[in-house]
Amino acid sequence: MEKRHKPTMCLLILFFASILIISTSLPAVAHKVIIFAWVEGDTVFTESKFSDGKKAINSQVLVFDKEGTQLLEGKTNNKGEFSFKIPKLTDLRIILNAGMGHKAEWRIPESEIKEAGSISEKKRAGEFSQPINVGLSKEEIKELIEESLDRKLRPIIRIINESQSKGPSITEIIGGIGYIFGLMGVAIYFKNRGKRRREVNRDN
Amino acid sequence: MHISEGVLSAPVLITGAALAAAGVSIGLKKMDYEKIPQVAVLSSAFFVASLIHVPIGPSSVHLILNGINGLLLGWMSFPSILVALALQAILFQFGGITVLGINTMNMALPGIICYYLLRRLVNREKKLISLTAAFACGLLSVFFSGILVAVSLLFTEQSFMSIAKLVVVAHLPVMIIEGIITLFCVAFLHRVKPELLGGIYGKTT
Repeated sequence: MEKRHKPTMCLLILFFASILIISTSLPAVAHKVIIFAWVEGDTVFTESKFSDGKKAINSQVLVFDKEGTQLLEGKTNNKGEFSFKIPKLTDLRIILNAGMGHKAEWRIPESEIKEAGSISEKKRAGEFSQPINVGLSKEEIKELIEESLDRKLRPIIRIINESQSKGPSITEIIGGIGYIFGLMGVAIYFKNRGKRRREVNRDN
Repeated sequence: MHISEGVLSAPVLITGAALAAAGVSIGLKKMDYEKIPQVAVLSSAFFVASLIHVPIGPSSVHLILNGINGLLLGWMSFPSILVALALQAILFQFGGITVLGINTMNMALPGIICYYLLRRLVNREKKLISLTAAFACGLLSVFFSGILVAVSLLFTEQSFMSIAKLVVVAHLPVMIIEGIITLFCVAFLHRVKPELLGGIYGKTT
């Protein structure tokens, strides 16, 4: 009997050892690809990477509008970045195709683009009133705020971006293993019940 | 090697799911009382293996451990991998629910192929043959998985050869590492419990 249990024990030890290895190297987690996009002025910036932090370089990026027609496509550079001018005032669906069946999507709602777009358009068209007087026009103030907000929020966007790509936490890993053993218990229960029922039938 | 959601077309997904369902039902039929804990342990091993990232090579790859899973479980590898993949999809967002069938298929089938191809060799008394077969099992199952992934992407990507080459080259380090892991597992099991290597009919050999 003791001899029977030994390999199971060994397997368990092997298994927990592997958990230990994983938990020490947790940031290096793989196999999900993420694209993250934000609007700055009239340009949309995107960043793509795998969940282990490796940049998705030279990957195809497709941009679609609300109706699903393709607006443009491009390739990420060696930092996993790709940027494009806003092609159209619509909801943008940005799709990353990292090959080998890896795909990710990011949506930018129209409202976000409108906000960012309207100001830069006006700026281009020279619509803003010239500051003849001491005061600034409402539009100009708005533009200044937008610009500085873009600048100030960039690190925060980056942090959000980074936190997006966090791999599974240790609780999720342990939880998953717990589920598997729970399922094992359920399977054993049902097998056992079937066996007992058969035994009862035989006895009768 | 998890295929993401929304990449494959419906016919491919349905075919994958149907094949996986067939495999799972065969596996469940073969799974007897004593095998359940072993299936669970190997399922957990598969579940965590995808978190071990291999930092070699151009792409983002991880361990799979479908070779040892198939070698020890045979057809029971199907339910084992299905459970692990479902939990990976739910908890880690690796792969996804709609692609569960095809992913299970891609991971489990190579293990079973290796089980039928190499089990006899792994069971040999001669250490050299047995361990070489074990290494080949780990290596080949990842290789076959790569081929199957390429086949499933056949209808979405332009050419089979280019995608197959890409997947296989990216997984070369994984293949070698898995070969070594399988080799050590088999060497270890030979010492402590050789009947485990016989798969489901182990007790008779």
